[in-house]
Amino acid sequence: MIGLLITLVLFPLVGWSVARRSWGEAFLFGAGLVGTILFLAGVVHVPLVPAFALVLFASIGGAVWSYRTRKTSSQAPHPTSHSPLPTIAMAIPLIAITFIAAVTPLNDFDGRAFWVLKAKGIAHERAIDGPFFQGATLDPRNQYPILIPIDGAVIFALGHDLDDRQLRWLYVGLLAALALLVRERISNLVSPASGAWCAALLVCIPQFAVATEGGALSAYNDIAVAAFAAGAFFELMDAHRDLDTAQPRGREIRFGLWLVFLILTKSEGLPFALVFLLIGAFVFRKRIATPAIQAAVAAVALLVWRARIPAGDEENFVRMLPTIPEKLDHLRSALAAFPRYMVAFSSWGAFWVAVIIASAFAIRVNRRAATIAIAVIASMLVVYCGVYVATEWVVTDLIAVTANRLLMHLAAPALFLLALGAQWWTRTKSM
Amino acid sequence: MKNRSLIPRVLCALLFLSLAATTLPRLVARTREALTLLPMPYESRRERQMGAWYASVQSLRKTLPKKEPVALVLGIRDTEAAIFANYYLYPIRTRLFAGRNGYRDAAPDPTRPKTIVAVTSEKVEKTSYEVLRDRDLRAGHRVVAAPELSEPATSFVLPIAASLDGAAPETFVIEATLLNQSVAQNGPALSNALMERLPRTNEVRITFWPKGESRTLRIGAGDTVSYYDLVYQLFGVMESGWVQVESRLPLRAAFYFVNRGRADATRLPNVERFATRIPPSPLHRDAKLFLLNPGDSIAVTTVGSETIPIMPHAIVTKPISSIPAVSGNVYAFVTTRELNARTDFYWPEP
Repeated sequence: MIGLLITLVLFPLVGWSVARRSWGEAFLFGAGLVGTILFLAGVVHVPLVPAFALVLFASIGGAVWSYRTRKTSSQAPHPTSHSPLPTIAMAIPLIAITFIAAVTPLNDFDGRAFWVLKAKGIAHERAIDGPFFQGATLDPRNQYPILIPIDGAVIFALGHDLDDRQLRWLYVGLLAALALLVRERISNLVSPASGAWCAALLVCIPQFAVATEGGALSAYNDIAVAAFAAGAFFELMDAHRDLDTAQPRGREIRFGLWLVFLILTKSEGLPFALVFLLIGAFVFRKRIATPAIQAAVAAVALLVWRARIPAGDEENFVRMLPTIPEKLDHLRSALAAFPRYMVAFSSWGAFWVAVIIASAFAIRVNRRAATIAIAVIASMLVVYCGVYVATEWVVTDLIAVTANRLLMHLAAPALFLLALGAQWWTRTKSM
Repeated sequence: MKNRSLIPRVLCALLFLSLAATTLPRLVARTREALTLLPMPYESRRERQMGAWYASVQSLRKTLPKKEPVALVLGIRDTEAAIFANYYLYPIRTRLFAGRNGYRDAAPDPTRPKTIVAVTSEKVEKTSYEVLRDRDLRAGHRVVAAPELSEPATSFVLPIAASLDGAAPETFVIEATLLNQSVAQNGPALSNALMERLPRTNEVRITFWPKGESRTLRIGAGDTVSYYDLVYQLFGVMESGWVQVESRLPLRAAFYFVNRGRADATRLPNVERFATRIPPSPLHRDAKLFLLNPGDSIAVTTVGSETIPIMPHAIVTKPISSIPAVSGNVYAFVTTRELNARTDFYWPEP
């Protein structure tokens, strides 16, 4: 239970210390910040324990300050939805998932083989480049980014226990936080009812709720990527909505931080961040420089860290890019991959079919917003197809183990399109 | 207009149902599973999930040294099991070796862990290199399928006996076949009266020198006893030396010096007397002269112009570049390795 307590208190506390946020966003922001700060501290050889103590004290101070300013703030709170039906529809799967996670031991592949193992290594050695990462023990994907393992290590270290049962809450927490973020942000951007239903849909998607590989009951990092991508996406959409009005200070910094979290969470995060920067340039214009610098710092830190540790058996896609012309025979499989998995009922139900249909209506409701969402999804699908073409693996094997998980990353823009598309009928009705 | 407002709701409901229809039954199934696990201690839940394999990891964890790295030696299809063994054993440090050959090829590496854990998808167990080697040899096939048995004899010496490994695939063993023909033989040489007086079981005493350890085998009438790795199977060691065979009854036997990794075999002579005159033969690389003193007293031997005293029951080797003249109360022979790594033996003329 110590793991539950730490997860529920620590990450939201750190998230709240930076700014006033909903629990979901605070949790995600806190998880991202703790991982990022400790990673950067590790890269510049600041011992992790004092660095964490500093983060903790600053967070407590920041949260208290944030609470006080909230009392005196005149800013109107965000509209929240009180739709009981979607709320119940969201709560039931989350409660079931929480119960299952509390009782059932972790039983996935990547979570145990790579991610939680890294968390154990960091917690045990209190370092991100100690013997664990120098080949003293088996770490098959040594150079995978380690933001979430650092969060896990914090939980292990505070709980004085390297048992993975302490981390079960982190992964359930990420899904719950993503659902709450979707609910809040789509409520603000589209309508409260849409937000509530989108959150309910999200937690009912089999790939998120019950998939053995990648779901909330596993210890994969794909929900974290989906959550940080959602953070960046909604920041982008907020900026787009307020394009003609004065933008709140710090929005581009928050956008940049979500990109940093993406880069430090999984290898797919870097191309994802580049896509966001590219699309974000049309929204933030000159102010895109700030998130670009933030993302560059994270990318450089990641490269510096990687240069210090031996590579595992992970693929280096940058080095494989020039080999794409020789592997064009992969193209057919790569192009067919996502359409085939999108209609896989056991993983996605009718979700992606609905998203594609909704996109057509969403464009009629808000052409620019829908275009941004579609651009994010399409760009990432192109990037992932490129990876499939370039891979040294048997391409069909790689697709089989990754396609569903890569689609998870695009949940937020997809749900936004659903919500926006549904508005078409409401608007037509009101005309 | 009312219909239009219903459309998004109906579509949303359909979408929700398409998701719930897949998720809900799986959530229910997993909740039921969780309910059955709930009364158990957490480790027992893991055992329930992963079976006896996890139980073996759990018990192994208690016996392994905490601060010493261990070698996880795995079979061809057991990579996944090794990855999870690595996970559950952490913070005990592990290094993965693809099979026994992976481990033995790392012999020059001073950081190679000494403690070996054999990993399969059924269990993990602390073991030794010798045990793994024996398991592999037992599972494989003998190189000599039809051994050529010697004439019956009651006492003789095998001038070389070994159970040793070089770098993969070099695996040296003695394949042996011993036949108690005392009753089974129907030839005219033995009269019925004599046969009746013969004991049905033969006792064969095998002594591995220079350690001098002995084992006594009892071979039933007409029975054949065979070994794929005589030295290890009888004496439990991976060493080299020579063997003395003493049998109560005339014994027919065949002993082969075998390189299992290269599937080549050389029949060993059953030595009954000293011999030193090795005929001139071509020498390749690693040529060695072996001087074996099977007697109980020091044997003063001359090799070319050099005098070498050989202690009782000792075997001495000497690198050579040509076949020397040898004299003395010893048994002398030469080994050399061809370019294809096959070992050639040159035995002395009787």
